Amino acid sequence: MYIIARNIFRFAVVILFQVLVMDNLMINGYMIPYIYLLFILLMPFETPRWIQLLSGFALGLTMDLFTGTAGMHTAATVLAAFVRPYLLDLLAPRDGYEPETFPRIHYYGFLWFLKYTLLIVLIHHLALFYLEVFQLKVFLSTLFRVILSSILSTSTIVLSQYFVFRK
Amino acid sequence: MRTLLRFFQKYSNMLLFLLLEIIAITIMTQGSSYQRSKLIGLNRQVTGYIYSKVDGAREYFSLKEVNERLAEENLDLRNRLDLILSQLDSATVVSEIKGEHRYYFVQSRIVHNSIYKQYNYLTLNKGKKQGVFRDMGVISDQGLVGIILESSANFATVIPVINRDFRLSAKIKSNNYAGILQWDGLSPQFAILTEIPFHVELAEGDTILTSGFSSIFPEGIEMGRIESFSLEKGNFYDIRVELFTDFQRLYHVNVIRNYRQEEQLNLENQNR
Repeated sequence: MYIIARNIFRFAVVILFQVLVMDNLMINGYMIPYIYLLFILLMPFETPRWIQLLSGFALGLTMDLFTGTAGMHTAATVLAAFVRPYLLDLLAPRDGYEPETFPRIHYYGFLWFLKYTLLIVLIHHLALFYLEVFQLKVFLSTLFRVILSSILSTSTIVLSQYFVFRK
Repeated sequence: MRTLLRFFQKYSNMLLFLLLEIIAITIMTQGSSYQRSKLIGLNRQVTGYIYSKVDGAREYFSLKEVNERLAEENLDLRNRLDLILSQLDSATVVSEIKGEHRYYFVQSRIVHNSIYKQYNYLTLNKGKKQGVFRDMGVISDQGLVGIILESSANFATVIPVINRDFRLSAKIKSNNYAGILQWDGLSPQFAILTEIPFHVELAEGDTILTSGFSSIFPEGIEMGRIESFSLEKGNFYDIRVELFTDFQRLYHVNVIRNYRQEEQLNLENQNR
């Protein structure tokens, strides 16, 4: 029960922070840190997969409503939620994830969290930015934006672990 | 039957994933720009309130800069007024100007904007109650901004030049040739002017103005200057236009209300 309440609270915090603070930080007109992915990243290991998918759907849809983009965030976030279990398997330590732990720096260290975040952010951003332009003519300039934004999002998310979402 | 059930059980997550993605892509591709505007209109009513609260703080921090720009504009207007007054010697001209306003400006503030996306939108803090309706033009002291897409009671959404759906008739100041101004989605500082035929002589630095062919903007509002041009395909130029409006630091705008818009549109529709 406690964990559900905490996740609903986190959902609201992450969305509001994204829309009210991050979306107003326009760096160079190219990049924007998408910190709302934190909600997907921090879900407990044993969350049933259908809940992960539906949470991703709800998260993306809320972002779409706030930013006025139709379906783009939804598609990208559902994809991120879908690949998360596979990535977790891929990055699992030798004896697997221990019970009662969460996917955080606190339990699995800086390097693990950085790899985990970077991969999910990259997949999400690739989907998001290419769905946004919806054409291959600007392939390279979009790739440039994907890479810059991914670096920015990843560093913001990792940094947030030291300030806000510590426990 | 049992194998079918087992198939669904085994791949239930995959199927759910595909279902959700199909829903998302359907929303995305089915959404014409009209539906998108409806969606945004709905979203603006909800989020407009939150944004306008937050914006108070943001505006406070940019007061100094805004002040300077207003002072500059004031000076410019005063100079122009002086010029006009010195030219007005016949009384008939004065009564004509007083008799009929063709355009009326509604002062407004931007409470939310985006510039880094392909389909950017702005939100204004004036709506139907203050006389802001669909298809009105929006300008700033720097130049053209965009067109009102949708308005609710107290807020309005603007489709700015830097939106891939934006199209507006524009002309070149030096030779009056008119083309279509649109945005290629690359940089918020540049737009593209198309449909200028190859035989027209162009020069870098020429000013681009509104043509006055649409009922939305009066003729001669400055938009930008020609940065470069090329004749890559066919008979028309691709002209890169450096926009005068700096969308990154835009706060105060004016909405143009054209009192004769309805009359003009009615006439144009009759002849169609």
